[in-house]
Amino acid sequence: MSQTAAQRFLQDAAVKSADLMHREVIRRGMDSYDAAHLKGRARIKDWEAARQKCQEIKREAINHLDRYLLQFEEKVIARGGHVFWAANSEEACTYVKNLATRLGVRTVVKSKSMVTEEIHLGPALEKAGIKVWETDFGEFIVQLREEGPYHIVTPAMHLLRGQIATLFQEKLGQKIESDDPAYLMAVARRVLREAFFSAEMGISGANFLVADAGVIAISTNEGNGRLCTSVPRIHVVVTGIEKVIPRLEDLAVLWPVLATSGTGQGITTYGTLIGGPRRPVEADGPEEFHVVLVDNGRSQLLADAEQREVLHCIRCGACLNICPVFRHVGGHTYGTTYPGPIGSVLTPHLNGIKEFKHLSYASSLCGACTSVCPVKIDLHHHLLQNRRNATEAGTTKSSERLMFRAWRHAMLHPRIYAVGGWLMRKALRIVYGLGLAGSTLDPMRVWNRYRSPVPLPSESFRARWRKDRAAN
Amino acid sequence: MPQTEEGQTEKAQTENSSRDQILQRIRTGLRTVVAEPVAMGSDRVIFEPINNPLERFQQECVANLMECALAADSAASARQLAEVLQSLPEGEIFVQDDPSLRRLIELTELGRAVRWSSQGAPGEASQATVTLAEALIAQTGSILVTASCGGRGASVIAPCHIVYATIAQLVPDLATALSRVSQERTLDRNSFACVISGSSRTADIEKILVQGAHGPRRLVVILQTAQSR
Repeated sequence: MSQTAAQRFLQDAAVKSADLMHREVIRRGMDSYDAAHLKGRARIKDWEAARQKCQEIKREAINHLDRYLLQFEEKVIARGGHVFWAANSEEACTYVKNLATRLGVRTVVKSKSMVTEEIHLGPALEKAGIKVWETDFGEFIVQLREEGPYHIVTPAMHLLRGQIATLFQEKLGQKIESDDPAYLMAVARRVLREAFFSAEMGISGANFLVADAGVIAISTNEGNGRLCTSVPRIHVVVTGIEKVIPRLEDLAVLWPVLATSGTGQGITTYGTLIGGPRRPVEADGPEEFHVVLVDNGRSQLLADAEQREVLHCIRCGACLNICPVFRHVGGHTYGTTYPGPIGSVLTPHLNGIKEFKHLSYASSLCGACTSVCPVKIDLHHHLLQNRRNATEAGTTKSSERLMFRAWRHAMLHPRIYAVGGWLMRKALRIVYGLGLAGSTLDPMRVWNRYRSPVPLPSESFRARWRKDRAAN
Repeated sequence: MPQTEEGQTEKAQTENSSRDQILQRIRTGLRTVVAEPVAMGSDRVIFEPINNPLERFQQECVANLMECALAADSAASARQLAEVLQSLPEGEIFVQDDPSLRRLIELTELGRAVRWSSQGAPGEASQATVTLAEALIAQTGSILVTASCGGRGASVIAPCHIVYATIAQLVPDLATALSRVSQERTLDRNSFACVISGSSRTADIEKILVQGAHGPRRLVVILQTAQSR
């Protein structure tokens, strides 16, 4: 029988959290993010007001989603662009694939877009015989390794420079003389320049869809997103319907807040706005401009009175970076497009609660994610709600239900509880005494297999309570 | 958007079978009432007000790893431009076809081959691009360019991008710059605009900052303090 997503998660999490090298790499990466993030926040006079403003902007947009999407669409079409609404991954991929085939596209350059990862656009195009280049440096690296992005903002943060040098040597067919990051970037730049100038189609995502101006907004540091949207003769934007914001002026807060939460920068190097194909008077730019608006389960969330705000997410990655679970198990362990707290909340909605309910438990409910979210999504409470929803939907095993029934019974009957506690202490003492702590015979195995055994109290809580009361 | 316009918007659709279904799902979903916290009072100030825009702009340029050279007049601007161009390898440069830049290039008296934006996009061989900007933003040390500033590639293809601007173009913050773009309908006249804050960069390997990724390694602003070009 093949493994379930939950079994795979537990297995990979156990391996990753015991991998000292992985822990060291992630610790270093996160330390430098933490320092930059704190410095970035200090540059904003009233960070809490900024978060609240962003929350209000996104709430207004999502609460009038139909109206703002139509306003955006109208403007884009008026400028000669095309807007395609895709209900699911298949529709989105088919549209882009047919467009590429119809226009004779053989090579595609892509800038980073989590929505294209979500709908598996790259593999769909490759299957149709189209060469796809990921051009974000981190994405380029993980594409060469034939794996998904490790993190939604820094896709290759799990790798060391030496590994990347070896990878380039193997995959790019050229001699790599150094593992200096600047040298490796220069190598990638040379290889990708050729791709930019030979590709017929550029595919980008969008960080925001600005309704009143009818433009997409893309934030990038490297400039690959700029080249993807400037050089090839066709530009396709693939993005989620929830990315819309009402006004251009909203970016005056959203851009700095996204940059601060994403990387700790005051603002991202390139904040690009594109509203259509090249105008006849313009020096360059694509002749075709297509926007693919992907639903893929998002519209269902609107009817969820508790979790509609999950659609406010601007994909900054701050909740991943602060999450103690992410920091230990790493991005790939989640086995989902979106890892970390936001992924754990979102994935059951997009891909099914039955298969992904275990992610609701990949959290200590410490609330760190909620405290850093720049649009104030109540992430850890949504994880709790997902746990409840999964249980109410009857996805729990009968053994689990039986156990909770027994627990409930014991909690309501003090004598039974006392006997149970006594039995447990006795049994554990025997198990520990035989040196079987952490073995399959140990009822506390989940905890004890990687740790020194939980010390056993000599007497029950009730007994201590009685004694203390008597002493006072 | 007023109700009367909605009918027209609906008509402006592209060939698309799922469009109405998605809109229907959205509208159905939005009927669910969601409890909302009270909106923030408008008196809270998010960003520190900018008292001295020029000083702030210069500080932010340093933080953004870009160069800002002040020049008193067009002759001084030409000298600054010549200095930057002389530091670059041999080869042609790409220049936005604008009368003020034609004059400036003439003043530099350099024998470099020039490709003008009226002749098309910059090529891989361009050593530098020289353009104007729509505005400079003090708060973030940014330049705002549009397709009118020599096109899309003009600010990203070459290893060095030089911007010729005047002090009158300096606005205090992003909010001012963006509301001006809205008011002046800049995006109706341009298919592209970009707020550029520094040279291209990446930190994708071990979070180590590398200056010069896919775009320019150098971004130079020649800021003329005399009001006109």
